[in-house]
Amino acid sequence: MDVPKPRILTARWGIPGSHTLAVAQEHGAYTALRKALTMAPADITAVVKASGLRGRGGAGFPTGTKWTFVPPEEKRGGKPVYLVCNADESEPGTFKDRYCIWNDPHMLIEGCVIAARAIGAKVAYIYLRGEFKYVKDRLDQALAEARAAGLVGKNILGSGVDVDVWTHQGAGAYICGEETALLSSLEGERGQPKLKPPFPAVEGAWRSPTIVNNVETLQAVTWIVEHGADAYKAIGTEKAPGTKLFCCSGNIRKPGVYELPLGYPMMELLNDECGGLLPGRSLKAVIPGGSSVPIMTPAEVARATMDYESINEVSGSYLGSGGFIVMDDRTDLVDALANLLRFYAHESCGQCTPCREGCGWMYSILTRLRDGEATEADIRVLRDLANNIHSRTICFFGASAAMPVQSFLKKFPEEFFARAGVGVPDDWRPAASAK
Amino acid sequence: MPIVKINGVEIEVPAGTNMIDAAAKAGFDIPHYCYHPHLSIAGNCRMCTCEIEAGGRGLEIACNMQARDGLAIRTDSPQVKAVRRNVMEFLLKNHPLDCPICDQSGECRLQDYYMEHGQYESRLADPKVGKHKRMDIGDHLVLDAERCIACSRCVRFGDEVTGTGELRLFNRTDHTEIGIFPGERISHAYQGNLADICPVGAITSKDFRFEKRVWYLDETDSVCTGCATGCNIRVCHQQGQVFRYMPRRNDAVNKSWMCDHGRLGWQDIASLRRVLRARIDGKQAELSEGIRAAAAALRGVDASSVAFVLGTRATNEANWALWKVARANLPQAGVYWCQGNDPGAWSQVDDLLMDADKNPNRAGARALADHDAAIGDGTDLAHAVREGKVRMLVVLHDDVLGRLEDAAEGVAVLHLGSQRNTTADKARIVLPATHPTEQDGTFTNRAGRVQRIRRALPAAGDALPDWQLVELLGAALGKGPGARDAATAFKLLAGEVKAFAGMTYKDLGGGGLPLRQPEPLPSPPPAQPAAP
Repeated sequence: MDVPKPRILTARWGIPGSHTLAVAQEHGAYTALRKALTMAPADITAVVKASGLRGRGGAGFPTGTKWTFVPPEEKRGGKPVYLVCNADESEPGTFKDRYCIWNDPHMLIEGCVIAARAIGAKVAYIYLRGEFKYVKDRLDQALAEARAAGLVGKNILGSGVDVDVWTHQGAGAYICGEETALLSSLEGERGQPKLKPPFPAVEGAWRSPTIVNNVETLQAVTWIVEHGADAYKAIGTEKAPGTKLFCCSGNIRKPGVYELPLGYPMMELLNDECGGLLPGRSLKAVIPGGSSVPIMTPAEVARATMDYESINEVSGSYLGSGGFIVMDDRTDLVDALANLLRFYAHESCGQCTPCREGCGWMYSILTRLRDGEATEADIRVLRDLANNIHSRTICFFGASAAMPVQSFLKKFPEEFFARAGVGVPDDWRPAASAK
Repeated sequence: MPIVKINGVEIEVPAGTNMIDAAAKAGFDIPHYCYHPHLSIAGNCRMCTCEIEAGGRGLEIACNMQARDGLAIRTDSPQVKAVRRNVMEFLLKNHPLDCPICDQSGECRLQDYYMEHGQYESRLADPKVGKHKRMDIGDHLVLDAERCIACSRCVRFGDEVTGTGELRLFNRTDHTEIGIFPGERISHAYQGNLADICPVGAITSKDFRFEKRVWYLDETDSVCTGCATGCNIRVCHQQGQVFRYMPRRNDAVNKSWMCDHGRLGWQDIASLRRVLRARIDGKQAELSEGIRAAAAALRGVDASSVAFVLGTRATNEANWALWKVARANLPQAGVYWCQGNDPGAWSQVDDLLMDADKNPNRAGARALADHDAAIGDGTDLAHAVREGKVRMLVVLHDDVLGRLEDAAEGVAVLHLGSQRNTTADKARIVLPATHPTEQDGTFTNRAGRVQRIRRALPAAGDALPDWQLVELLGAALGKGPGARDAATAFKLLAGEVKAFAGMTYKDLGGGGLPLRQPEPLPSPPPAQPAAP
């Protein structure tokens, strides 16, 4: 499609040595930081708010608004404020943050310092998924360089602003990408989500106000501060400005991470950027936003654009983290769903009853179904279990495990009932609800 | 105070009240597993899910909802009932359903809530997940991880109450399993509480294991007599035999807890140290003979050489009666109370419940001494004995000779008590008193709270309630205090002693009342770190 495809987040990707301070600075790194150091914290927040930037971790909550939830200093009772960068990226089908850090660690460090200054934090933690040891090593090197150059730490560039940035490696639990579980893990506790309220912005890490932002979000902040809110709003859609990284995988010719303006037609992402399906294959389904979001049919794919609103209106699914998983006609959806549930049955933190007991139960029904040992009644139980888990847990994990089941069964019931040796029952469709 | 609405019923509760408690106050029971009033909020069982009618929306867990103006919830809507049914189904998915051999059976929330909210129709066609069974995790506890519903109450008890943190949830998803770190063992003195707060049969008590089906047990509210704290308890018994003590909630005294020492206190009821028959000069006698002999002995000595000693293990009623009997019949006699030795020894053993003072009614005896300045303390008694002014001691329960040691050589002793001790063994005349589980009465705890004990069992042997023995002794001497029963004795006491002014058994209710003019014992030194 002939829309401009500005490279905001990926501008320095592919430049040899882009992860080193010298090369990054040669290509504009830390320009935004120098500007931010001259701005009042409230002005930085105002710019981010005006840009309409929405959190790129999956929920799409307006970033600037989130920052304003930090209580003012007089109401903090002397507690510090923390910035935490969520780099736990573990959603199946999502693999952008690791490339963001790998290719341009300085953009993240810069974003952390700017955001920390905006919210009044003197310490920022970057929480990395346990498997990202290689990414952490590169980020630590970049941090050391930035610290030595006076871009991180005490009295940054002589401005009197102190922001230190630390990396923390998790132990590889998917749930630690959920922000309150991440904070539990950061504190050294078992990685389990906490009850909300209180929300982290009020009571987060070590019971202090904490803002948790995704890697991609913080990198977008640097660009917004440097170029202004209007420049950002000129890209993307009205409700979803800017660009987004899409992690494209599955039965396509060119899997990879693509930066595109929000609102980009889904079909063009598939056919142009991803190079289309393999020869002779036809599209069966797409999961547009990481494994947790509802599946989409080809008809829905044809009508949707890549932004929060369109995907939800067209299909009831979500843009999520941008994990774009394509399945062609060879894909066995029963097998695919069983595979997905194997992941959720392994990763549920085990705290809330419905999710703890239900994920394993759903997986066990699906394995029987996959092996041709389940009945029509089992499929009904499966749907009930998903409905009984969704929205009935402390965190969003329950819904994340339920939505694939609900949507696969709603949109592709033929494949599931055929596996049980029966046709789709007459009463199935109206009652099936993919929330 | 905010006004909230529960199922259409408006109720005013203090700000911040949890909606499970608010609903209970309005008369609605919200089922729950993980919530416990004396532990932090976990919100994991999801059983207390309610529907918000106003002041919010959707389904929320009541335990994490605090009362605020305008909040209205429903605990009985079709949606709420469906959630409970579903949660029950999930909870039972991997539960072994071994109720026939489970001690919790009969007081298990899985059973109770299943009857009320269950689905009654199994849809389970998949195998259950197996976990560790019969783990020996402490001197008083056995753990069966398969029965566990991962509510984390025991974990929070270890973290928040004893601060020992031995228990943890291990693994994730449906393999989540309660357990203890390798090589560790629960060794603190509050283990029984873990079996109590476990809402299912995962943690059971070794002391009660396989002893009795709980539905056969009768329960009588009482107070632990193991130390001066006076933890509120339920005595669980059947056909005259006690099977266990359980703590009874009293936020002013013991919250929901009690120590293991107190919990096993029932073992003295039938111990070999019990005094069951009257004894005169070492020979067993009828109780009536014993009382006559005691009266004759008292009449046979110079009244001014008699010392009556109020008991720190006797009920308030018995101490009052003894004081009345002394004043009415032998006005020249001395009356004392044993204050104990060293005030330093009164400090708590830990900062939870256990007190170094192992007597349940020192504060009550002291309250009488404060009422009548002529009542001497332990030091006065020791002086009088050493100076040879005392030829006869009348003792209620306490081991007075044990404290006086050799100084009391040659002093005749009349002992009224339920347990043998040095004093009872050396006494000329012994009269058998009942165990606290065998009589009505009151004790005053270390903080000056007057609390009732209630008769749960028939008296063993010839024993009579301590106040009644004193009453009979008074009558034999010529003038008893005139109480027909414990309640009358208490009423007469309350009419006379200001600290108890106006109290009746009815007023004391389940939770007791503080003395009118509180006479707390010397405050303990700064709290020591918890002794696990």
